[in-house]
Amino acid sequence: MSKMHIFINGKKLAAEEGETVLEVARRNGISIPTLCHHDALEPVGACRLCMVEITHADWKGWKGLVTSCLYPVEEGLEVLTDCDAVKRQRQTVLDLLMARCPDSEVIREMAEKHGEVTHYEPFDDGSKCIMCYLCVRACAKMGCSAISAVNRGTLKEIAPPFQTTPDACVGCGSCASICPTGHIEADDSRTSRKIWGRSFQFVACEDCGAPVVTEAHRDHSIARDGLAEDYYNRCAACKKKSLIGRFDKVGT
Amino acid sequence: MQKTYVVIPRNCTGCRTCELACSMAKGVDGVLGHPRINVFPTGENRYMQMTCFHCVEAACAKVCPADALVRNEQTRAIELDEERCIGCGLCEVACPFGHIHFDHVSGLPLKCDLCGGDPVCARFCPYNALEMR
Repeated sequence: MSKMHIFINGKKLAAEEGETVLEVARRNGISIPTLCHHDALEPVGACRLCMVEITHADWKGWKGLVTSCLYPVEEGLEVLTDCDAVKRQRQTVLDLLMARCPDSEVIREMAEKHGEVTHYEPFDDGSKCIMCYLCVRACAKMGCSAISAVNRGTLKEIAPPFQTTPDACVGCGSCASICPTGHIEADDSRTSRKIWGRSFQFVACEDCGAPVVTEAHRDHSIARDGLAEDYYNRCAACKKKSLIGRFDKVGT
Repeated sequence: MQKTYVVIPRNCTGCRTCELACSMAKGVDGVLGHPRINVFPTGENRYMQMTCFHCVEAACAKVCPADALVRNEQTRAIELDEERCIGCGLCEVACPFGHIHFDHVSGLPLKCDLCGGDPVCARFCPYNALEMR
C-alpha cells in the first residue's frame, strides 16, 4: 500500500491508500460527528453528518462537500472539517433529524451541541429511526440479513421482508445493541426475547436457569462457528464455577 | 523479557482484594464495574482465582463476526475494540471458561485486558497470589 499525505484543517497528516478521510481524521484525534459510522461495518454515508469540504491544489479552485466516511484519500487532498459550509450542512441535517425524531435523546443532545433547533413541524409518530442502516449492516454481518429498508420516501422504514415475522432472524439482538437512537428494542424476559414481532426461546442455563442465548442463535452459531453444543448449556458464571475443581489441581 | 500474568492459587487467602481492585479500575463515572476476576473457595482454606486466560486459540476472537476481539501484540492480551463490537453477545457463549460477561446495559462484553500490561489485581494482591513475572 502506498503512503501519502493529506491536509486536514491545514495539518499535514500521513495516510495510506484505501483509507477514508474519516479514518485518517479519527486516528489523528480530529473529531467529525457521525451517526451511521461503525468501525466494523462497511460505510454507507446514510446520515450525512460527516460531511467535509475538500479541495486540492491541482483542482483550479474547485471545492466540494463530500461524506468523509466514504471519500478515499489521495495525495495532497485538502480537507476542512469546520468551515462555514460544513457547519451549515451539519445544521441542516440535524434540523431535519430533529423534525423526524423529536423523541430521540441522542439527536437532541447532538443538535444542542451544534446549536441547532428545528424549523419544521416535528413528526409525532414516536419513531426514533434515523435510517442509518446500522442494524441492517449488523444483521448482514451476523450472516442473517433478516431486515432491510422497505418502501420509499416518507414511508421508508426498516423492517423484515413483507413486514411479516422474519424467518432469517435468530434473535441475537445485535440490531437493538447497535441502534444509536434506541429505536429498536428487544423485549427480554427470563425465558424469551421478543423482537421484530417474533418470540425466541432462550436456552436456560443447566445449573441456575439464567438465559444464555436464544435457541435460534445457538443453532446459527453452531452451524457457522462449529462450536460444540455443550458450549451453550451454561451461563458464564456457572461455567466458571463448574471448572474451579479442574483448575484447583493445577498449581498446588 | 515479556512478562507473563501468573495466578498462584496456593498463595490466595480469599480476601477478594483483586475483585475489588478490578471493580474500581474498571468502574465508570464513580460506579463500580463488573470484576473481570473472581475468587472461589475450593475447600478448607483453599481458593482459586478465575480470570481470562487470553487463550492462544481464543474461541471468543474466533466467533466474533466483527473482529472486535483482537490480541494486543505487546501485552499478549485479547482486548475488546469497543468501536468494532456490534453487541451480538456470542463471545460470552463461546468462552469455554465463562470469562466474558456480556453487559446488556451498555451492549458490550466485559473482559480482562490485563489493564494494558500492568494489571491492577496483581498490584493490589497482598499475598502475591497474582503476579506479573
